[in-house]
Amino acid sequence: MFENTKMPEGMSSETLEHLISPKNYGKLDEPSCVGVAVDEKTGEYVIFYTLLDDDIVKDVSYATNGCQDTVVIGSMFTDMIKGNNLEYANRAIQKMLEKLGGLTPQQQICADIVFSAFIASMKNFENIQNGQKEEMHVLKMKDSCESAGMQDNNEENKNG
Amino acid sequence: MDKLFRKKHDLWLSISFASFAIDDEEIKSKLYDFALISFRHMKWISIDVLEKGNEYNYDRDIMLYKRESVFEILKALESEIKEIQNFYGDDELGFRMKNDDNYILEYISQLLKNEQNNKEITAFNMQRKWLDKNLPQDQIDALTLFLFDESYKEYELILIYAYMQARTTDIKQYNVYQDLIDESQFHLKSFANMMAKLGILALPRELHELTYIVTDLDKFIRDGIDEEIAAKEMCKELSEAIKDEELSKFFDFINFQENYHIELMRKLL
Repeated sequence: MFENTKMPEGMSSETLEHLISPKNYGKLDEPSCVGVAVDEKTGEYVIFYTLLDDDIVKDVSYATNGCQDTVVIGSMFTDMIKGNNLEYANRAIQKMLEKLGGLTPQQQICADIVFSAFIASMKNFENIQNGQKEEMHVLKMKDSCESAGMQDNNEENKNG
Repeated sequence: MDKLFRKKHDLWLSISFASFAIDDEEIKSKLYDFALISFRHMKWISIDVLEKGNEYNYDRDIMLYKRESVFEILKALESEIKEIQNFYGDDELGFRMKNDDNYILEYISQLLKNEQNNKEITAFNMQRKWLDKNLPQDQIDALTLFLFDESYKEYELILIYAYMQARTTDIKQYNVYQDLIDESQFHLKSFANMMAKLGILALPRELHELTYIVTDLDKFIRDGIDEEIAAKEMCKELSEAIKDEELSKFFDFINFQENYHIELMRKLL
């Protein structure tokens, strides 16, 4: 879509594209499973919808009330796993971390909440397969964006 | 779920973002007035839906197309306004909305008669240049992220407060929600107009019901106050980081506005 757009230096065109138009954003009408990861301190959440066809991630979507880092990572991650099998999806978490490179602690929390929401959706699928009636599986985040933000500031202060 | 509410939500956004995208100050201002009228329609529809014992949500169908001329935007708006007429009922609210829409359609048709109004749209060109000033790239990046974060946040707050306002029976709460909605409308307009100047105008993403169906008002308000304090800090940092007097003054102004905004929120506790 934006391949031919000449971007100024700095923020990449890929990041800007995910910001302007996040991929796979919203809800799925008939998902196989739904997972939520929530940061109880800040109230931030990511909800992840997965539609499986055997072990293929046929469709996927997510929504969040979080920051733009969470939106961009969610957009990239869903784009990466859509149409691939579950083994690939599980490896994609590591691949994404490698692709994203040097994240700040706060951005790491944003990445974790996206991946945790996907893992929660897989747990929901497992529970449904085992006969449980679970509308969605919820995982509570151990680390909070709030404390990571403080950590970021402390590091800046130390460096400053 | 109510189809008319969904259509009106889309139309409110369409008129608002047409206003933000168009440079001409007179057209921008007039369209923004119409957007606020559409928002009031949305509020009245929501009350009507609830009174009938039905429900509505904030799902949308709208897409923000990267249009290149003022006439392209106006023609798209014209057909959207014509289409929604089929959804209005034969009651006082329906008549009022039809009458308002007819006035907007007449205004648009007058604009379309004058070819001089058909200017180029630069709101989507992705150039990320702030007017004729040569801001360093790191400052442009910081401004870009801030505008995406905050334009979403303001849209989110408008809809959450509207959702709660439609459901409260407490007049004091109702008035505080109205003040908070008005504040966020102004902030959304300010941020979106800045995004348009930078060439990165984009719709805020859709709200999920986990965001606007509030089960614990007290916690929601306390979290909201923390968010406002964080937003104040971001404004302060941006004001200090961006070496542009006009922008710095604007962010100081928003930062100061947040003080009373927080007080308004405390009144809800």
